[in-house]
Amino acid sequence: MAICEIKDITFTYPEQEQPALKSINLEVEQGDFVVLFGESGSGKTTLLRMLKAALTPYGTKEGVVRYNGVDIQEWNEREAAREVGFVMQNPDTQIVTDKVWHELAFGLENLGTPPEAIRRYVAEIANYFGIHTWFRKQTTKLSGGEKQLLNVASIMAMQPNLLVLDEPTSQLDPIAASNFLHMLEKLNRDLGLTIVMSEHRLEEVLPLANKVVFLEDGEIICAEEPKNIGRKLQEIDVKHRMMQALPTAVQVFHALEGKGETPLTVREGRRFLSEHVSRPVSKRALEPASSPIQDEILVVKQAWFRYERQTPDIVRGASLSIQKGELISILGGNGSGKTTFMKLLAGQEQPYRGNVYVEGKKIHKYKNQELYRQHIAVLPQESQTVFTKATVKSDYEDIAYALYNDPSKVAEKIQGVADTLSMASLLNQHPYDLSGGEQQKAALGKLLLLEPAILLLDEPTKGLDAFSKQVFREILQALQLQGKTIVINTHDIEFAAEVSDRVGLFFDGTVVSLDTPERFFSLNTFYTTAASRMSRHLMHEAVTAEAIVNNWFKQHKSSSK
Amino acid sequence: MNDFTNYHPVVLLIYYIAVLSMTLFLLHPVVVSVSFIGSLLFYGLLTSARKVWKDMRLFMVIFLLIAGTNPLFVHKGETILFYLYERPITEEALVYGFFIAMMLVAVIFWSKAFSIVMTSDKFMYIFSKTIPKLSLVIMMALKFIPQFKKQIKNVHETQKTLGLYSDNRMKSRLMNGIKTFYSMISWSLETAVEQGDAMKAKGYGLKGRTHFSLFSWQMRDTIFLVTIGLVFLSILIIQVNHGYDFQFYPTVSNVPITLPEIGRTLLVLGFVSLPSLVEIKEYLQWQFAKSKI
Repeated sequence: MAICEIKDITFTYPEQEQPALKSINLEVEQGDFVVLFGESGSGKTTLLRMLKAALTPYGTKEGVVRYNGVDIQEWNEREAAREVGFVMQNPDTQIVTDKVWHELAFGLENLGTPPEAIRRYVAEIANYFGIHTWFRKQTTKLSGGEKQLLNVASIMAMQPNLLVLDEPTSQLDPIAASNFLHMLEKLNRDLGLTIVMSEHRLEEVLPLANKVVFLEDGEIICAEEPKNIGRKLQEIDVKHRMMQALPTAVQVFHALEGKGETPLTVREGRRFLSEHVSRPVSKRALEPASSPIQDEILVVKQAWFRYERQTPDIVRGASLSIQKGELISILGGNGSGKTTFMKLLAGQEQPYRGNVYVEGKKIHKYKNQELYRQHIAVLPQESQTVFTKATVKSDYEDIAYALYNDPSKVAEKIQGVADTLSMASLLNQHPYDLSGGEQQKAALGKLLLLEPAILLLDEPTKGLDAFSKQVFREILQALQLQGKTIVINTHDIEFAAEVSDRVGLFFDGTVVSLDTPERFFSLNTFYTTAASRMSRHLMHEAVTAEAIVNNWFKQHKSSSK
Repeated sequence: MNDFTNYHPVVLLIYYIAVLSMTLFLLHPVVVSVSFIGSLLFYGLLTSARKVWKDMRLFMVIFLLIAGTNPLFVHKGETILFYLYERPITEEALVYGFFIAMMLVAVIFWSKAFSIVMTSDKFMYIFSKTIPKLSLVIMMALKFIPQFKKQIKNVHETQKTLGLYSDNRMKSRLMNGIKTFYSMISWSLETAVEQGDAMKAKGYGLKGRTHFSLFSWQMRDTIFLVTIGLVFLSILIIQVNHGYDFQFYPTVSNVPITLPEIGRTLLVLGFVSLPSLVEIKEYLQWQFAKSKI
């Protein structure tokens, strides 16, 4: 029997003409692991919020959501709070109290559970989630991954039967995200917990799910088993733009028109490729990368940095030379110091030994206005921090008027940026009302008004869906054509492989192994893209799904001749 | 070695109030000196001898300041030592200043020691029993403040790189302050809405909310409470019968070394050294247990 049944739900937000959800029908069985995907703004969050009566947004709603056969609006509040758990995107804002143990008990306290019983539940949950080692810590001292784990644990302490998660890993780094997803898998498998979640990164979550729902413009386009989702998308459009959201193995399988079972994981994809590639290429030694034209724009020489005198060095003798017009990605784990390194590049912090040179001149010799107009612009991880006004436009005008006195020139410049980023429709909105991808675009636009030669981007793809990422990639390529130099800090190895001219790994305070993406990822065994792990035994330097497909066709053609 | 911290927060608070009121209200040289030594010993056991020494150097200045100012401004007392600018400096005022200063430093050290023992969650626990709504608000504030500070720092750093600053420092600082303020308002409202949703999702607002804490009342809490109760009560009874009376003006009364006087001193000594005794006992027990391994 279905634990949760969504019947003919149509929902319209107040003062909106277009409904956010259009006659949605979905059944979730006991023990299901359902994954929702779709572009930002396709109605995922709205749909998920329909499942929890306390969070259902205001607006006109038709249809009914039944939980265990009863309309959720008719459930009494206490039962409703207990039965359905809800985890949101931002790990910080969901935590209520200051201590980990108290956060675990918070929900149970609300339900009026006696303290002795809370003690038992909390102990059990802390053990199951491995929280007992940081049980007495302060919640603000936790990492993002720990925070999100705590959020799930504190909800699980209330013993819900349905867990709803809204992009829970979008703010986490890949390792924390992977741990988090495995915890969900464990809950689903060991306890038979029913899970409904929305997610951008399908690479890891798809193999765990037993039902995948694709949402577009508030409509369910298809609800399928993971193995069939690629085929369904191709039935709609052979080159469906959401194909790139699917795992590499699925993309390659469909691009090569594979038959039979769809591979979902790297392991399955590897097997599929082995069967499909008729003639594996002999491994040849990789040629050393040809050194690019020497036209240095941003140089770091032997920089050392620490935040306080007593704390350890974060940047330890790092050197890096960035050429004009190239796009460099710096990869590295959480807490490796790559954000700090970027702060040195941006002149936000000063190395205590060594120097940073911008166009041949020491960075601290520049005056503030001189440096941040025409030279360097920084897009921070939290793009919200860029905005200080009520609309994107007034924020832009703020900058533009500081640069140009002439109102027509200001309007022209703003129009120019809006065209480059195709975001004219966002100009009159409040920055906080934009989705993650749009916010990023708007923040980038503000930086572009300063006409910087160098763009430093910190985790630009964090929380972006596959389509926004594609758009962002095109923007970067367009900017590169305009002659801009771009440095990206990222966890996203897939993205780095696609866009970069050179890729480096930030480790132990320095940039190690700076190389072209092809060489960087094919020489790495662990820290590399899914595509590279899948194809390394058959092809070399195929580090993206696209490259595998191209390589395959090349080999296939030459063998058929 | 912080065994005393493991007592129940209510016990700790009662002891703290008792020892402070005794130090403050029994203005008796022996009581003040004993309390002073007790506070130093306890603070030293909680931290280290070096830390006591380091802090002592600072408080010595305060001590001398207070002890020195009293005879300068107060000219009561019969025994005139000398004249300073035609004003009499009396022995009584000097003694009084000395003990007032010692009392204040003792109170400071007791408070320092108790700030280590009574952590915020223990205060929260006591509050949540008496004023539950307020305690939740304080707890949320404790969580929100670091988050808020971090966001301010982020906004500030970002705004710095947007090229709007002139090199006129005052002006750009002011401008940045206003910008950061605007941004923080939006951010705070946004965060509050999300936090509200999260609380609602976890059933906040249902009737009959309970309160969970990690503290539980144990046998030794009862024993400790009864002990401090008895000792404090005896001190009170003695005080009511003028056992701890002492006179500074017009002449300093002397403290005879008699049996009842020694008894009264021992009572106070016992009272102020209770936490230190707990610590020392724990230390010895630990050493003993270790030696048996």
